[in-house]
Amino acid sequence: MAAPMELSCWGGDWGLPSLHPESLTVMAYAKFSGAPLTVNTVNNSWRAPKGDLPVLVSEDIVISQPAKILNFLRKQKYNADYDLSAKQGADTLAYIALLEEKLLPALLHTFWIEAENYCSVTKPWFASKIAFPLSLYLPGKMSREALNRILLTKGGPPLYSLTEVEAQIYRDAKECLNLLSKRLGTSQFFFGDTPTTLDAFVFGFLAPIYKVCFPRVQLQEHLKQLPNLCRFCDDILTCYFRLTVSGHSPAGQDTADANLQKLTQLVNKESNLIEKMDDNLRKSPQHPPRKLTMLKLAAGGEESSPMSRLSP
Amino acid sequence: AAAEPWPENAALYQQLKEEQILLSDNASSLAVQAFLQMCNLPIRVICRANAEYMSPSGKVPFIHVGNQVVSELGPIVQFVKAKGHSLSDGLDEVQKAEMKAYMELVNNMLLTAELYLQWCDDVTVEEITHPRYGSPYPWPLNRILSYQKQWEVRRKMKAIGWAGKTLEQVLEDVDQCCHALSQRLGTQPYFFNKQPTELDALVFGHLFTILTTQLITDELSEKVKNYSNLTAFCRRIEQQYFEGHEKDSSTVAARSSKRSLLR
Repeated sequence: MAAPMELSCWGGDWGLPSLHPESLTVMAYAKFSGAPLTVNTVNNSWRAPKGDLPVLVSEDIVISQPAKILNFLRKQKYNADYDLSAKQGADTLAYIALLEEKLLPALLHTFWIEAENYCSVTKPWFASKIAFPLSLYLPGKMSREALNRILLTKGGPPLYSLTEVEAQIYRDAKECLNLLSKRLGTSQFFFGDTPTTLDAFVFGFLAPIYKVCFPRVQLQEHLKQLPNLCRFCDDILTCYFRLTVSGHSPAGQDTADANLQKLTQLVNKESNLIEKMDDNLRKSPQHPPRKLTMLKLAAGGEESSPMSRLSP
Repeated sequence: AAAEPWPENAALYQQLKEEQILLSDNASSLAVQAFLQMCNLPIRVICRANAEYMSPSGKVPFIHVGNQVVSELGPIVQFVKAKGHSLSDGLDEVQKAEMKAYMELVNNMLLTAELYLQWCDDVTVEEITHPRYGSPYPWPLNRILSYQKQWEVRRKMKAIGWAGKTLEQVLEDVDQCCHALSQRLGTQPYFFNKQPTELDALVFGHLFTILTTQLITDELSEKVKNYSNLTAFCRRIEQQYFEGHEKDSSTVAARSSKRSLLR
């Protein structure tokens, strides 16, 4: 029944299966829904990327945008949203729109427009993945498209210079991250215990910000202040992606994978419970005496003065 | 300026209602009017042919309050909040996040679909948009201005990837968006049960305009009519907030008949 499906997308680095947000979204969704995709990462071969990646090829059908690819997978019965109520499905659409409007411009800016980032990280990395003559042209083209998109959608009056536009899009992106963090709260995924389309999209957008090492990292620093989002990314990476960048796990490992996944989820729940207990303990009246002992140590001698800085 | 009370002569500027204003601008303007009505803040609607150029951000509608000029729903909501009136104070953090997400959904899908229909669908452009957009100006200025605007909008559509979409795909997207809104509204009177918020104003603005505007075909309004709770929602808000002003309600109904005269 299932025709073999091949996904072509950008490869990964820094512990991620892909650096490209849209490719990452599709790969994550395929993992969540159990779709057997063979992932071909674009590397230094002569089959130059035509149009936009990621591209799904199944027999004769070629599909190119993430939303359409996800629709196709759902029609093939690989549906990660099976358990969602209709209202949750509506919420999914709304949050995806929020991500595209508020977070994507800043993501594009960090990768493609911020001069230091682009010249020292993005351009060399993408150029190394494409065959020779195209590697001189394609990263520049992607950068120009990103700038165009940001200026046309966000850059009208009353913002007249690029720095004002940049300030606005980073403000929007930080607000969006805060909203996502509040929505996620302490739960494992956005809609309970199983990952869905929204988790795939959020992961696709957040993981590159989180993991890629750029010289200019204001968005990454803001993200690191939201521990539940960082935990969310790490969880998905460890549960669903592990080491294999190619993304094709042989059938024998599947049961071991499922067990490991359940174990990790249990461990996460335990650690959440422990954190809650810690919080309760800290709030309870036993806490103040700890402060007194810290102060006594500080008063004791000069060498303990660093400790007084650490006291709560 | 934030501490001043809301003056009696606050004014909202938009393009000419009968001859000039387009679907998307009408929707945005109605959303702001609904929002201000919900906050119980009086506002006069003034129509000027050059409203787009007077606006600080180039977009209509904009409001002139005291000596401040603010345009577009987002900044207007914040401005009104600074004056002490807010509709979304009673929501908790998660609900506020949801509200913002749904407002982005409406902007991302409904507004973009309206813009696509107005400026990228050739039949609509020829028969409705070009005549309306430049109507206050003499030839050749009217053609130049509308071609300029069309070029701008098409550039933006290309940048966000909508240029390659066909009309059917755009209508599909509208349907998906209405489905999501309908599911979220359910059987409640407003999106966050008891009190209307800026999301209700925005959704009302867009849906009411789509329902009452006659275009070349009725496909767009048919998509919205499929969802009975959305049409009931629009009727409820119209009755509650717009019946009081006879001027507004009569022009709201007259708008649809005026458009048909152009074809």
